[in-house]
Amino acid sequence: MTDDSLSIGISAPGRKPVFNGPALFWFVICALPVVAVCLPLGLFLATGFWHVDNGTMVPALSLDNYVNFFSNPTYVSVLLQTLTLAAEVAAGNMLIGFGIAYFIWRCPPVWHFPLLVLGTIPLLMSYIIKLYALRSILGNNGFLNQALVAVGLFDKASDLFLFNQTSILITMGIIYLPFSILPIYLTLERIPLSLLHASADLGGSAWQTFRHVTLPCSLPGTVVGGMFSLILALGDFVTPQMVGGVKGFTFGRLIWSQFGMAFDWPFGAAMATILLVLSIGVIVIAGAIIKRTEAI
Amino acid sequence: MSPRERIVHALLGCLMAAAFAVLYAPIILVSVLAFFPALRGKVDWSNPSVEAFGKLAGNASILEALLNTLIVGLTTVAVSLALGTLLAYRTSRRNDWVSRLVEFVIFLPFLLPPIITGLSLLSSLQQAGIPRSLVTVVIGHVLFVLALVYRLLLNRLRSIGASIVDASHDLGASGWQTFRYVLAPSLSSALLTSGVLVFALSFDETLITVFLSGDDSTLPIRLWAMIRVGFSQDINALVMLVLAFSVVMTVAIAWLLQARRSRAAG
Repeated sequence: MTDDSLSIGISAPGRKPVFNGPALFWFVICALPVVAVCLPLGLFLATGFWHVDNGTMVPALSLDNYVNFFSNPTYVSVLLQTLTLAAEVAAGNMLIGFGIAYFIWRCPPVWHFPLLVLGTIPLLMSYIIKLYALRSILGNNGFLNQALVAVGLFDKASDLFLFNQTSILITMGIIYLPFSILPIYLTLERIPLSLLHASADLGGSAWQTFRHVTLPCSLPGTVVGGMFSLILALGDFVTPQMVGGVKGFTFGRLIWSQFGMAFDWPFGAAMATILLVLSIGVIVIAGAIIKRTEAI
Repeated sequence: MSPRERIVHALLGCLMAAAFAVLYAPIILVSVLAFFPALRGKVDWSNPSVEAFGKLAGNASILEALLNTLIVGLTTVAVSLALGTLLAYRTSRRNDWVSRLVEFVIFLPFLLPPIITGLSLLSSLQQAGIPRSLVTVVIGHVLFVLALVYRLLLNRLRSIGASIVDASHDLGASGWQTFRYVLAPSLSSALLTSGVLVFALSFDETLITVFLSGDDSTLPIRLWAMIRVGFSQDINALVMLVLAFSVVMTVAIAWLLQARRSRAAG
């Protein structure tokens, strides 16, 4: 036996292995995801500075795509409209999601798990199917209209609920709601009961305890829930297409169209870069809020 | 609870009931309609049948899409579990800048809008001249779910603690032996949970897949193409089956996670 077998896990100083197998192995394992994510993303972002000439992409760096985008009022208004839409979806879902998560948390413990599962099941249900089902309800011939007419609220079926911006708002709100229920509940659950008791013992009313203990403690989950809704709504291109019709144009759909009908990939890549910057901004802000509340 | 708190509680209960009704009513309705033939928008409630399900079994393109989905799902599970476990293991042993870089990078596809992940992969494949296939779909799915596997496994590895691994090394086990005989047995439940979760996510993934699937479409992509045309009993039947499958998987995941949590607590 050489003394190699005795020095397991400890490399003798001043001696280098001839072939470092494990190190190479770990290098490959770590490099694989980094390359698979960064290389395509980097290339794609670079494409945003290119342009199309006679149907082929020309890799010449210029800011033309960005100038075109921001100097065209139609594009800018679509972006602003989508930002408003996404903010509305996120705000609505944070509010409703918080209400539901709070209710579940205040129920007797036996109910927590079943109710939470009920609120989570839609998360893993096919996205396309949810859209299909909602469209069949909201449509002119759909059950919502039929019900409203049957009850007598409407004289005849209305087009109010499908193929406009409102229908996109409703649909995204419903589809992304479970994304906020779960994280909010998980932070609520982590609040130590002793903290709530302490607040009550010190004479805090139910409202004061809620306002100064529960709300700040659950802020990280609420922010994460809102972040998911916001980012998903910003980039979604299928929901607007399925329930938005001609009037329901959003930023995600605008990007998508550059890769289909318009076939201007560099311009699409430039717009996707704008989306990326916005999303990273949202993530950074959310991260900062979470860090600040956890520091307190 | 004071009377006022009780009123708030009741109101929030109503909010939840309403929200759950809105979440579930459409899909339940669509599922029920799978059993009733409809003619020009009028549903014939008097005549329930399972005929639509029989027709599905004879639809070659749907069966092919289903097979593709299963292949993609299982491959994604295998690759993401292997890669995710190794990366989590490395971080648990050595939390250096490499680990933090990897962690940051694999969370990007999970947090960014799917359209960015999908488009960047599509654009790179195009430039590299690689044709789109089920392989490219698997790559997209693995990148999407890797962060979840990594997180779940890392949590588990951290709860096991470093001392047991050090003990194994001190007793002369190699890295692989430690992994195989010491860590793997206590990782099995985390692996099972991640596996089911990854499969469920891959099964439904639409927004990245649409960019990466060439001629071989997966079930959600096939469904999307069918749905764009309109409503039919066939679609409803397929929808009902897919939904039933998703519900079973979600309940299984929830149950697995809960079992782990109560074991950790008790």
